[in-house]
Amino acid sequence: MIITPIELQKQKNDFTIVDIRSDQQRNEFPLKGIDTVIATEKGIHKISGKKVLVCQFGIVTEGIILENDMENTFSLLGGAQAWIEFQSDKEDLSQWSRQTVLPEIGIEGQKKLLNATVAIIGMGGLGCPAAQSLMSAGVGKLKLIDGDMVELSNLHRQPLYGVDDVNRLKVEVAKERLEQLNKNAVIESIDEYFNKENGLSIVRDSDIVIDATDNIQTRQLIDRFSKEANVPMVYGGLFRYEGQVAVLNVNGSPGYSDLFPDPPSNGETCEDAGVLGMLPGIIGNIQALEAVKLIVGMKHNLNGKLLIYDGLTHNTQIFQL
Amino acid sequence: MIKINIKCFSQVKYALDTDELRLELKNGTTSVELEKMIREKSKGKLDGISMRIAVNQKYIPNDIKLHDGDEVAFIPPVQGG
Repeated sequence: MIITPIELQKQKNDFTIVDIRSDQQRNEFPLKGIDTVIATEKGIHKISGKKVLVCQFGIVTEGIILENDMENTFSLLGGAQAWIEFQSDKEDLSQWSRQTVLPEIGIEGQKKLLNATVAIIGMGGLGCPAAQSLMSAGVGKLKLIDGDMVELSNLHRQPLYGVDDVNRLKVEVAKERLEQLNKNAVIESIDEYFNKENGLSIVRDSDIVIDATDNIQTRQLIDRFSKEANVPMVYGGLFRYEGQVAVLNVNGSPGYSDLFPDPPSNGETCEDAGVLGMLPGIIGNIQALEAVKLIVGMKHNLNGKLLIYDGLTHNTQIFQL
Repeated sequence: MIKINIKCFSQVKYALDTDELRLELKNGTTSVELEKMIREKSKGKLDGISMRIAVNQKYIPNDIKLHDGDEVAFIPPVQGG
């Protein structure tokens, strides 16, 4: 069983709080605002009554409780890291404890995600998984842009929509589903197609723009406004079993016009060429991963590179632009 | 003669019905000449389809002379999302 920092704050007098961390961790990251007893893993069973176990990230204690089938014992979600953050900022980040444990993310990275705004242009095959993953990762604000209604033929690759949503606006349905993933996030639904009139204002007050459209003309327009507003663009595109991802326009790095400078040729859309639903799932998630890396500031990313993934062979190749 | 490995992506793959080709070419063959050969091989299936060329995993901005062992990728834009 787990308990979150907010719950523990309310119920702290009902539990014995057992800190099982090493001396070094306790000295470096002291727990404030709660009285604790110190125990080693082997000594926990000597402490009777309802108790909360605290380790550094909340992972070791969950394991101990499961392995020993312990009753009346809770693991503090996110561990000392989440409690300390909750005490200093009154923000409970324990929902993201499994990613804040990653040194590249940590509490600082999570706060950057919570303060970030990402615009997703197109809520189809790429936009649905990208939006889901970004919302789950804790991105504070999503702008969803699409004028389409849900069609029955969308459902196999657009997992935010169900049979009962057919003929409803995609951005409205998506907002309803995504709100379940993070109650504190803001979701702005814009039931319009991205165009010359609305484009700049959509891109300008975003930190990242995800290109999840299904046509090259709109990609070129996103590229233009992404350059103008100096907002990075995470491009994704599909052809049958093949997907492309690139991170573009990061402080003057190559853009879509460098990737494909020619006027649009008559390439086939997913509707025309056919697609298995898993492929946009994979590519949309790679786009979301790149967006998270950009927001957090990780040095390994696809800036200035084109990734091509083949769903038949699972070959992945990266080209330098 | 020089041996060149060719990687075909999206429409190029379907037009040539393969994702990889190995060709022996005359010394001094350039990337644009190779693109012409690829288009001829496709028997019109690549007409009207633009493509970028990468040599040894790097986009090339201009026509360049190819060398023995080079890997040349033909990458068209894709529309779907």
